[in-house]
Formats: sequence, structure tokens, C-alpha cells
Amino acid sequence: MTPLYTLSSVTKRYNGSVALDIPALAIFEGTTYLLAGPNGSGKSTLLNILAFLAAPSSGTIEYAGREVDGKQSTLGRLRNEVTLLHQSPYLFDETVFANIAFGLRIRGIKGPPQRQRVEDSLAMVGLSGFGPRKAKALSGGESQRVALARALALSPRVLLLDEPFGNVDKETAGMLHGVIASLPGKGTTVVMATHDTSPQTLLKSQVIGLAEGKLTGETVRRKDREGRIGGRSGHAHF
Amino acid sequence: MRLILSLDADVFHAAWTSIHVSAWSILFASLLGIPLGLAAGMSEFAFKRMVLTILNTLIAVPTVLVGLLVYGFLSRQGPLGHFGLLFTPDAMVIGGTILITPIVANYSLNSAKGADRRILATALTLGAGRLRSTMKFVSEIRFGILAAVIAGFGRVISEVGVAMMLGGNIRGYTRTMTTAIALETSKGEFAFGVALGILLMTVALLTNIFLTLFQQR
Repeated sequence: MTPLYTLSSVTKRYNGSVALDIPALAIFEGTTYLLAGPNGSGKSTLLNILAFLAAPSSGTIEYAGREVDGKQSTLGRLRNEVTLLHQSPYLFDETVFANIAFGLRIRGIKGPPQRQRVEDSLAMVGLSGFGPRKAKALSGGESQRVALARALALSPRVLLLDEPFGNVDKETAGMLHGVIASLPGKGTTVVMATHDTSPQTLLKSQVIGLAEGKLTGETVRRKDREGRIGGRSGHAHF
Repeated sequence: MRLILSLDADVFHAAWTSIHVSAWSILFASLLGIPLGLAAGMSEFAFKRMVLTILNTLIAVPTVLVGLLVYGFLSRQGPLGHFGLLFTPDAMVIGGTILITPIVANYSLNSAKGADRRILATALTLGAGRLRSTMKFVSEIRFGILAAVIAGFGRVISEVGVAMMLGGNIRGYTRTMTTAIALETSKGEFAFGVALGILLMTVALLTNIFLTLFQQR
């Protein structure tokens, strides 16, 4: 099986200091990955690289079997397949509907199909009927859910999530868990940075451990459907 | 109020000239200053601090100095003298544009610099290209851009130096409200000058209300 992403000798430096140093990493399609590690371990940096929002300082990235060059046209095309949900997502200063429709318009989805996808995605996050509301007037939890709906509406091939449960209450987190857990079944690859290592989160997930920008021995495979935790790192992915 | 209501055609022509010259000046200054300010605010480059210092300094340039410099270019002996622009509304527009472009650029720059860093990243990750992301960015900081336009307009409609030196205060042609106020006051018509001042403030207020309503749409 060919990986969706293959990272080789990828580093990212900021002002001379190394923020990320990954000798090799493969990410397979339709799988959920947890990015685990303390603050400052490079999780957000890795997500930004996977989202094609930041270029690595060195190394190569292959996506869907092709090496990613730095051309704007290539990056633009790839960003249509990969969506990153930031830790504190930014909602544009317009209605919830317009926020969710933004990415759809870019993809040429207009009229009734656009309306349908907006409504469907809002329903998925439990915010049916929120379309006409002003996005800036929403609570933190509602904003998080709208941002997830905005990403889901695009049916991305890869959904990258940076601490998606960081700003929401327990009830909302449970609901978001359910939505995110259903995505791999639809073929979406999920890479999620989180401090949440509850069994519900770990279930059926691969874990990518990071510390000080490097992969750690915590990188394990959580495999089976019964929630049994599998073996240590060194699995075929690394 | 009686003085304002009894204003004659000359005064209304002066009001119209003020609005006309200010509108063209702010249009050109916006076309130059907004992209310049956004480019400087959204990117990091060598000598950025120096550019900011120069822009801040240009805001404080006296209007008569701008008038003097443009006068030098447009006067008969100047490099652009053959265009015959001196003492025309066009010359006033050129001077006004030069005067307020740094203001518009500076306000735009500060708005871009203070904007939420997540705007561009969000637009990009939702699939927008560079141009569309930038347009979205501008849309999100529209309050700051509008403030730039209002500040520039306020400066140009209320200045005297450029209008006097480049327009010549010609009755029925290049006389503006501010040059008319200066003239009336020098003639000892203080009350009439105050009445013109009130009219000037009213025009500025109505313009700002119009721009604010336009922005809220």
C-alpha cells in the first residue's frame, strides 16, 4: 500500500533553531493519527507542513506518490485536498453560512448544492439553523464547531486538526469525537494533535509521538476495534 | 444658520470644488496608498523599519511644503510646466494626492500589521489562492482601510496650503471652502468665515456618514 504522505529527512528551522526533525514518516490514507507531545514539541509545525502552509527547511515530502514542489500552483491544488483546522480557528467576519460556503465557492460549488452541503455540515456538528447567524457572535465552542463544519463541508481527503477539543466543553468534545471518528470510514485521513489521550480518542488511532521536534518511542499503533492497545513503534510506518 | 442658508453660487461652487478635488485626491491616494500599506504590512523585508519611519515623517509634512514642491514642478519654468496645470483643480488633485498618500498608506499598513495572523492561513487552507486570500484579508480589515480613507479625506478637504499654492484661490474655479474661509477672514468677514467653516464641517460629516454606511453594507 502506497502511503499518502511520505516525509524524508524533513526539518523545519526558525531563526536557526530546529523546530522539527523527522528522518522518515509515512501516513496512510483513511487512517486516524494522533500527534502526541508536550507544548512546543513541533505538533503544529508538522501540521502546517502537512497542510502545505509551511515549507520544510530541508527534506522532501511526497503526497499521493508525487514529490511536492514549492510551486504556488501545486500547493494551491494540494490545499484543495487537505484542510487544517487550527487550535483557535478563525471565523471570517460574516455569517456562519458565508464562512462555510467560502471554500465551496472556491471549488465551484454554488446554488442549491452549496446550500445543501452547508446545511449537512452544520447538522453534522449539531448546529442546524445556525447559517444566518453572525460568526463573530458565537461562543467559543460554537465557533469551534462551525470551523469543523466549514472543513467537513469540503469533504477533504485529509483533515488536520490542531487540538480540536481545546476550547470546548465536555459535551461538545464528545460530539466532535463522534464526528471525527466517523471520517476514516468515509475515506478521510485524519491527523489530530491533541493532549487528550482518553481511550475514546486512542481507539483505532496511530500515535505519532513528538518531543523537541523529534519522533519519540511513544509512537505506537493502536490497532483493533475492541480498544486493545497494540505494540510499540517501529511499525511499518516508520 | 442664516448666513449658511443665504450662501450664494460662489460659495456653493467653492463647496463643490472642495468635494470634487478631495474625492479625486482620495481616490488616487487610495489606489496608491492602500496597496503600498498592505504590501508593507503583510510582508517582512529589509529596511522595513526605515520605510515606516519615512511614512510617519511624511504624514507630518506641512501642506505648504507639498504645495511648494509641486508648484516647482508645475510652474512655467518647471519640468511639467508645459502641461499648463498650475492654478487648475488638476494641480490641486496632484498636490492633494501627494499630501494624503502617506496617511492612507500608514493607516493601511497599521491595519494589516495588527490584523489577525490566522486570516491568510485560514483562507489558504480552505483552498483560496494567493490573490483570493489577500482579497479576503483586505475584506477582514475593511474597518481599518475605511479609517485610512476617512483620515485621508479629512486631511485633504480641510487643508489650505496646497489649495492656495496650486489652485490660486480663483473665484468660481479653484476656490475651495478652506481658501474662501482664509480670504473672508482676511477681509474681516469673521462671521462669514465661521459660516463657511460650519458648512465645511457639515460636508465632512456627511461624507463620513456616507462612507460608514457604505462600509456597513
